[in-house]
Amino acid sequence: MSLEIQNLHVRTEDREILHGVDLTVSKGETHALMGPNGSGKSMLANTIMGNPNYEVTEGKILLDGEDLTGAAPDERARAGLFLAFQYPATVPGVSVANFLRMAVNAGREEPIKVKEFGAMLGENMDLLKIDRAFTKRYLNEGFSGGEKKRAEILQMAMLKPAIAVLDETDSGLDIDALRIVSDGVNAMRGPEMGSLIITHYTRILNYVKPDFVHILLDGRIVREGGSELADELEEKGYEFIREEVAANAG
Amino acid sequence: MPASFVEEIRSAALARYESEPIPNWRRSGFWTTSLRGLDLDALEPRRYEPIAGREDLPEVARDAIGEQERAGLIVQRGASTIASVLDPALAEQGVIVCSLEQAVEEHPELVEPYFMKRLSYEEGKFSAATAAFWTGGAFVYVPDGVVVADPIQVLYLIDEPGTVQYAHTLVVIGENAEAYVREACVATDFEGQALHAGAFEMYCAAGSNARLSHYQDWGSGEVHDISVKRVEIGRDALCKWVPIHLGGHLTKQQLDIITAEQGSDMRHSGLYFTQGTEHLDLFTTDRKEQANTTGDTVWKGALTGASRASYEGLIEIIPGATNSHTYLQTHSMLLSPKAKADAIPSLIVEVDNVSASHGGTVGEIDEELVFYMMTRGVARQEAVRILVEGYFEEVVQRLGDPQLEELCRRRISEKILAAKDTVAEFIAQR
Repeated sequence: MSLEIQNLHVRTEDREILHGVDLTVSKGETHALMGPNGSGKSMLANTIMGNPNYEVTEGKILLDGEDLTGAAPDERARAGLFLAFQYPATVPGVSVANFLRMAVNAGREEPIKVKEFGAMLGENMDLLKIDRAFTKRYLNEGFSGGEKKRAEILQMAMLKPAIAVLDETDSGLDIDALRIVSDGVNAMRGPEMGSLIITHYTRILNYVKPDFVHILLDGRIVREGGSELADELEEKGYEFIREEVAANAG
Repeated sequence: MPASFVEEIRSAALARYESEPIPNWRRSGFWTTSLRGLDLDALEPRRYEPIAGREDLPEVARDAIGEQERAGLIVQRGASTIASVLDPALAEQGVIVCSLEQAVEEHPELVEPYFMKRLSYEEGKFSAATAAFWTGGAFVYVPDGVVVADPIQVLYLIDEPGTVQYAHTLVVIGENAEAYVREACVATDFEGQALHAGAFEMYCAAGSNARLSHYQDWGSGEVHDISVKRVEIGRDALCKWVPIHLGGHLTKQQLDIITAEQGSDMRHSGLYFTQGTEHLDLFTTDRKEQANTTGDTVWKGALTGASRASYEGLIEIIPGATNSHTYLQTHSMLLSPKAKADAIPSLIVEVDNVSASHGGTVGEIDEELVFYMMTRGVARQEAVRILVEGYFEEVVQRLGDPQLEELCRRRISEKILAAKDTVAEFIAQR
């Protein structure tokens, strides 16, 4: 199964931000999408998930060959896509446990058995070193930055998506939290999941080694390569890439 | 022969009632509450026989009362008291739970000092009507130092169109006593008109710790509810009050909580959910009369259909109530393009050295939140339901009463599902 993004053009009310993005992420692969602020990374993540604030004017989003370009976000989720948000919403009055149960059940015909759910939740919380008391709190209400990111990864672990997009999951994490989150992501790596890790910095890529790296600049993918591209970027910075692109265009 | 203090008030109130026109409540902006549609002359007080047990009550009443053992229960159907129950162990400790009519006969010395102490028949035509015409009623008396763990319940039921119900509940919580009082006002779904004109007064003596809930669900009939409910809190006493409004054709209520003596404290948390063409007009007062009193008020509402809801919350701090601290917040959530709400917090502060703050919002469901839920596979309608339930959860949990909390959650959930077409229409427009 793969997520195929073909010639994707996306605009806000004001202007076009993505000018034809092509990207394929297959199960079993880990991709990194890197780019400076304003390059359109978060917009791409949100568009993959069907955020109604963004309009696709051209191009397609396919999952396993099925065209999801116009699908509602919940259909995409049930088809196997997942987005770990950069800024997850706060859901007052809904506990982490209830939220997770609802989300898990949304993708099933029969509701999950209480015991099975409890076992799965316990296992994943251990994996992410999350305290049991956490599940009684309202989702993201009063959570620290690190707790929010862990709650996102916990949801990912519970929902077991085919393709997961992680939007700046590393931002705002201290080194310990980053390690925990990375361990969690690594534990889920395998033939059953493909992931697209969106990041500004190479920091998380030291823990989660990508198979492929793509660089997004001004709404276009300008360079692609293996994990060595991230090292090159670390060394030279985005300005260097920008100059290189300008030189090639000239 | 009824006690003369009651008769004197009845006759004065009757004169007042006859001299007053049917009111029209108007406020700045679009808001008017009018009784034009009510055919008052066609209504009558209906009499009923006592019941043998809870199985003789309609479902809406049984739901409100719940299954478990209770400390005491008064049920008034139409104009008649049809059930009066009190745990004998509590009776032995001096607790009284009976109809107000019976209390006036048997315990006039306990009733007289409190009866209409904070209510007046001069507050309008329906305050006069209630004072003049009340029958049955409820009297709850918890003596000094007595702790009642289980809820004491009062239920007003209307189950026939053409009914007028004049209700009067008087609750007295003695010094250092503790109790939880639940009052429910319910009706079956019928076709036709009815009126509940209610008076509720509660006095929490020094050092007492009281909880009070009001549960209102008037069903789909044209029940008009015009009521005044007032709670007075004495020195170093605490009252937590949670009114729940789950619908009624037209409701006009004034809910006042008075921290009347040094160190008195209150929590007032309410919710409402209106649907169809329901009209809800709520006015609450947080009145601080002496120094070092505290409180907070939180009201949350949601509207579907073409319903109207207005919440006005006043904080009033009179001279002498220095070093008082209180705040009020109110939120209304619109779930339909045709619904209208307003939320008006206001302040009258006549003394220095106090803190009082307030805030009010009228909003719609947060689209960012809906998107977030949908990215987890939850369908749009379901996401909206969960978010509205979550929004109310803060208030529901303040009930601290699992049975009533469950009932509220169930009814809220049912109401959201019942309104799913207008909710969908609303969402589609945005």
